[in-house]
Amino acid sequence: MRAVQIVLCAALGVLVLAFPGLVNAYWLSVAILAIFYAIVTASWALLVGYAGQFSFGHMAFVSLGAYTSGLLVKWFDIPIPLGMLAGVVLCAIVGSGVGFVGLRMRGPYLALFTVAFSEVLRIIFVSEVEITGGSGGLEVAPLFHTRSDAPYYYVGLVLLAGSLAAMVALVSSRWGLFFRAIRENEAAAAAAGVKVVRFRVLAFAIASSFAGLAGGFYGHFLGILTPDIGSVDQMGLVVAMAVIGGAESLPAAVIGALALEALVEALRSYGEWRLVVFGALLLLTIRFARNGLLALAWEQLARVVPVVPAPRKTA
Amino acid sequence: MSALLIETHALSMRFGGILAVSELDFAVHAGELVGLIGPNGSGKTTTINMLTGHLVPVQGEIMVRGVRAHGQAASAYATMGVGRTFQITQLFGRMTVLENMLVPGLARPGSKKAGATRAARRHLEFLGLAALENLPAKNLSGGQQKLLELGRALMLEPAILFLDEPFAGVNPFLRDEIIVLVQKLHAEGRTFVIVDHDIEALQRLVHRMVVMARGRKIADGTVEDVRHDQEVLRAYAGF
Repeated sequence: MRAVQIVLCAALGVLVLAFPGLVNAYWLSVAILAIFYAIVTASWALLVGYAGQFSFGHMAFVSLGAYTSGLLVKWFDIPIPLGMLAGVVLCAIVGSGVGFVGLRMRGPYLALFTVAFSEVLRIIFVSEVEITGGSGGLEVAPLFHTRSDAPYYYVGLVLLAGSLAAMVALVSSRWGLFFRAIRENEAAAAAAGVKVVRFRVLAFAIASSFAGLAGGFYGHFLGILTPDIGSVDQMGLVVAMAVIGGAESLPAAVIGALALEALVEALRSYGEWRLVVFGALLLLTIRFARNGLLALAWEQLARVVPVVPAPRKTA
Repeated sequence: MSALLIETHALSMRFGGILAVSELDFAVHAGELVGLIGPNGSGKTTTINMLTGHLVPVQGEIMVRGVRAHGQAASAYATMGVGRTFQITQLFGRMTVLENMLVPGLARPGSKKAGATRAARRHLEFLGLAALENLPAKNLSGGQQKLLELGRALMLEPAILFLDEPFAGVNPFLRDEIIVLVQKLHAEGRTFVIVDHDIEALQRLVHRMVVMARGRKIADGTVEDVRHDQEVLRAYAGF
């Protein structure tokens, strides 16, 4: 049984590594965008699914990370990795600020507060045409000057694997335990000695920094940034990815993001109707599978296929 | 006289125009087992909330082991050795019983996971919950949840433990079990302040009673003294 699982994992690993050679340029770029969304969705799941801080402003941090890196590289000609690092640090700082200001808010109030923050940032990017290029977009230096996008794919994979490993380590540590305790009951967590203010702010800072990292990668991959990346529409897509996959499990959120991005592209010929389908899927998931469709599907699969281990609850 | 663990001077709390607690002077020494009683709305839970950092008093002073604690967060009170349970049980429902215990265990400065896990299992054994350590807390019965909340507070190794209505909504069998557990813990040297309406249960348990009515302390003494206090009788039965 164990051997079969190892063989299956190895085969999946080979498939993932060989992917750029198996698909055309279009599907390779879809895969790179899916990896970008996977990092964003996992970090949103960390903030919402584990720490219980419902934010609708996560894509604002993606845009902040992307614009920070793009502008620093353009103006000061600094190396791109340094620009991306600056975006990560700035997102952590601004995320701490948003987390601190939002400390007294819960549930829908916190969500509305983060929507407002997100819109303020988006409008600044739209309005400051001289600096950001406004709605016309900002040209961003590419990470690689190659004909193929394969290097982006592998860098994206490394970023995703590194981010996921860091997030899994975090949620498995005592910090993760405190995040979940705060999610479950703040008063009880405080009575148990958990420094609620510190950990709520930390959750925002950490999740925002991963969003900033993903944003930097996105900008330097696409080569152009528009303020729409931080729009509520984009946020809705990330929420759908996390909820359909399973917001209380990092791997489930990642798979939800990869699957939904692939579906969005596969059903592109159906135009706006595909979004109606995703909306309905989201509603059904919330109603019938609150831990996400993936957990439900995996549970069913484990019943009928003996080599599939039963899902382990991570949150 | 043993060490003074908690002490208040002229402690007051106001919610809008309502004075919930008025100029309360209160002290608990190490090793005491104190009952805090009073009719509904007398300010007992508000007092506990102030003494554990969940409410900041509008006036007055709180000293914990000789250190001014006024205005500190609830987590700081916990770190100073003030544990509590809640009137309505507050657990981390979707986390396992063991995880519920580990949260305070790992929140203690300098704690290690192995040591916290050992302590958690020891307390769960004492409370009769050892077999349930992998169950989500929300799946426990109401009585088991009360015990788990007590266990979680014990994980802080508290110098003083406030139990807010531990007998509310529990059957007589479990009530007796809780009384025995508290007596055992007290015999080990733990200090308790117990808030409850169940005067009969408290009489069996505590050595000293503090009675509150309309936000004020109206009596403080031995159980026998308090039972015959005219102001207490008036507050409780309108005599």
